[in-house]
Amino acid sequence: MDTFLLSLTVLFAGGMFALIAHRQFSLMKAGYIAITVAGSLMGLSAIWPTLQGGSPVSFSTTWLHLFTLSFTVDSLSAFFLLPIFAICPLAVLYSFHYMENSEQCGRVAANYFFLNVLVVSMALVASADNLIGFALVWELMSLSSFFLVMYEYQKEATRKAGYIYFIFTHVGALCIFAAFALAYSSTGSYDFASFADMPAKVKAIVFFLALAGFGSKAGIFPMHMWLPHAHPAAPSHISAVMSGVMIKMGIYGIFRLYASLGVTDLIFGEVVLCLGIISGILGVVYAIGNQDLKKLLAYSSVENIGIILIGMGIGMIGVASGNMVMASFAFAGALLHVLNHSIFKTLLFLGAGAVLHKTGGKHLDLLGGLMKKMPTTGKTFLIGSVSISGLPPTNGYVGEFLIYYGAFHGLTLGGSSFLFVMLAIISLAIIGGLAVACFSKVVGMVFLGEPRTEKAATATEAGFSVTLPMIVLAAASIFIGLFPEPFINLVFLGLNGIKSLQLVGPEEVAIVAGNLAFIARLFLAIFLLSVALRKLFYLKKEIVRGATWGCGFTQPTVKIQYTGTSYGMSIVDFFRPFVRIRTSYSGITRIFPGRTTYESRIDDIAEITLMDRIVSPLLYLLGKLRWIQHGHIQLYIGYIIVTIIALLLFI
Amino acid sequence: METFIPLAIAILAAPLFPGIILKVKAFFAGKNGPPLLIKYYTLIKLLKKGSVYSNSTTFVFKLGPIVSFASAFIVLLFFPFAGGSPLFSFHGDVIALFYLMGIGRFFTVAAALDTASPFEGMGAAREVFFSTLAEVTIFTVLVLFYRLTGSLSFAEYFTGENPISLLSASGALLLFVIVALFMVMLTENSRVPVDDPATHLELTMIHEVMVLDHSGPDLALIELGSFYKLFFYAAFITHILYPFTAASSLVNGLIFYALLSLIYVAIGITESIMARFKMDLVPKFILTSFALVFFAAILTMGVLQ
Repeated sequence: MDTFLLSLTVLFAGGMFALIAHRQFSLMKAGYIAITVAGSLMGLSAIWPTLQGGSPVSFSTTWLHLFTLSFTVDSLSAFFLLPIFAICPLAVLYSFHYMENSEQCGRVAANYFFLNVLVVSMALVASADNLIGFALVWELMSLSSFFLVMYEYQKEATRKAGYIYFIFTHVGALCIFAAFALAYSSTGSYDFASFADMPAKVKAIVFFLALAGFGSKAGIFPMHMWLPHAHPAAPSHISAVMSGVMIKMGIYGIFRLYASLGVTDLIFGEVVLCLGIISGILGVVYAIGNQDLKKLLAYSSVENIGIILIGMGIGMIGVASGNMVMASFAFAGALLHVLNHSIFKTLLFLGAGAVLHKTGGKHLDLLGGLMKKMPTTGKTFLIGSVSISGLPPTNGYVGEFLIYYGAFHGLTLGGSSFLFVMLAIISLAIIGGLAVACFSKVVGMVFLGEPRTEKAATATEAGFSVTLPMIVLAAASIFIGLFPEPFINLVFLGLNGIKSLQLVGPEEVAIVAGNLAFIARLFLAIFLLSVALRKLFYLKKEIVRGATWGCGFTQPTVKIQYTGTSYGMSIVDFFRPFVRIRTSYSGITRIFPGRTTYESRIDDIAEITLMDRIVSPLLYLLGKLRWIQHGHIQLYIGYIIVTIIALLLFI
Repeated sequence: METFIPLAIAILAAPLFPGIILKVKAFFAGKNGPPLLIKYYTLIKLLKKGSVYSNSTTFVFKLGPIVSFASAFIVLLFFPFAGGSPLFSFHGDVIALFYLMGIGRFFTVAAALDTASPFEGMGAAREVFFSTLAEVTIFTVLVLFYRLTGSLSFAEYFTGENPISLLSASGALLLFVIVALFMVMLTENSRVPVDDPATHLELTMIHEVMVLDHSGPDLALIELGSFYKLFFYAAFITHILYPFTAASSLVNGLIFYALLSLIYVAIGITESIMARFKMDLVPKFILTSFALVFFAAILTMGVLQ
């Protein structure tokens, strides 16, 4: 535990260093990055023994002479700490060339400080072992990430995004704290370990309350609304950390809660599974409908959280019905997808940031042809896109395969469980197909074809500190795809913490992992053979370059290219009742038409419903009570006294 | 040897069968039609040629044919042709293989978008939409098969202890599957009534328009990949129709290729007597196949209880 605490101290010191040295801009950046990378490496070395199956390590201290704060790194925590310590330093390194404006050195330093506070608090969330400690660091995590979102506070959109994030994260925290309070009143203990002693009814309330809270952090539909606002507003390396790592803390919360409550009723799995199906499908549909690159990636995070929840839901159903093959592989797939998503989503956000930085635009229909201008960004982004679409031989596929594998083994169940599992498989297939549609769109519109604007045409490749993290992440994606065995073993060690789950034997795991590795490598071999075959066919052949075949049209312009909007429209239209499409078309009125306009936008139904059904009535109601606020200080003091007296009556 | 010979025959014979479709269509049109080996001639012709590449394209354009060929080819290695044992097989390979076909599609679509052509973009958008729907049907078929036999690989389906076949106890359910898979085959292989590769108008095509800019050996790889894909789907349906359990692999092989030819003839007849659907009817067509299989899967709840 000493190394773990030391690494957190070093990370915090890195943040302080940035604040102190902010006047020496380059020195501050270099020093900060060096300290943060060192701290993260220490953190990795601290969790290494636990990741390898070592015994949990704990640490506790008293706070205010009243509470005990205790932290334990067990195998599940260690697995969630892995992305924190592995991904965050890459995002930090990326910021060296990304945060270039030395005039805003103070702001950059503050951003660095809060980033490291976020990293430290996430690490503490993943290791917190009692309610008070968890609540404290959870709040610290929410606040530090709020300040990170508010980096460009002069922009109104950013302030709005920050505000929405603040509300969602605190309503979520409210639910979590309410669940904790209920748990404490039932058990009288602050320890997670005592959760198992609660009566079944209380367990259910605690679980669903906390699920709502953790869900709003993780971005489960319909509590995902802050993601598409906050991610575009924040700087890209911050979006990468928030989407790749921070929202996984919500998933961690659900895992931890499930493990400590020890609930084995069907209903828990069914609810989680349904939430996963809704988040997964609608997340990717909205991602297809949105043309803002970072907003699209935010919705895709909702989709991937959905996939993780589908895995967890199937796992819970498996535990509830005693089918441990199903439970083990589905839980393993969900947990592995946590790691995988943190790799490829970070990669994609960093790539999006590089594009944004170099072209100044993030609207898909204004980009294009960047593969030639930014080859490294383009190639790594392509790998990330293949990976997030869950296609072999990359890492995204490994997690999804395990979930499928578990789900198929659950098909032998009878009754409603069979229906749920079948729905899960069908939804996974839909999500997989739509993810291909979504990310072929992104790659196609941003990196392929011809540049649609001047800025896209004159873009240049980003600096090495921006491309290096992307190369590392892309390599990791392919590596896990081709050599999944150690990672699958890691996941199974992580699952040891769930008491109600009897894991399948290591032989069976080894067979499945070996088969996965085999088919990925076989595909790679056939691919390389095909490349060689093609080379052979092209020996001494004439190769000519010319214009694209315009189907008889001889004067094409870049504007006739298919746009992202039109690419996704038929799919979005298919899901019409769940997506609101608004179009406005000025129409053609005269024989010689003048300037016509066509505009379409896709609105999030969750957001519309929240506005229409909750926010507007609430504002109306509160408007009626506005007379309470009159600005007379003596009356406010009166309110306080009356409240206190009223409360005293209850004692 | 038992493994390699059927596989080698399949790999070599796949381009023969699309010729049957052309012959059937020519018969219906009252023409002689091209020779049966036309597709071999086309491949040889293409392989001899050089290529023209658009100035807009990047390396992704060249990856398209390679990946789509590789992903179609790998499926053949896992398929037990004529009831023989496949080259490779493991529990769960079907999931992996259908996802591998997904990566072929991803790169075909990316290559199409790389040309900056509006027609190819349009074709790509349709392709990803329709194939998503087709994938749903396929996974529901896999659900049904798991429910019936508890297996998750082609070899287990057709050569395991409890092979799937129309003649078995649950054969009635498989009628739905055969019809649905036939519909999916038409969709995934861009046949009429979903797509018309023979039309003269690029605007109305789906798959064919995406490969407009490919030429020479690149186009040959794409063509060969699409022959393999069609061959796989046809073989899949053939195996559901009839269990190849005869002792002699020669007899099995003969029956297999006879039934397989019948399926190609059926495609040819479908193409001859139907016109291409309007685009907005295509999702309904594919969802019909899903509804059939879903219904069959629901029925297993009653059958097994």
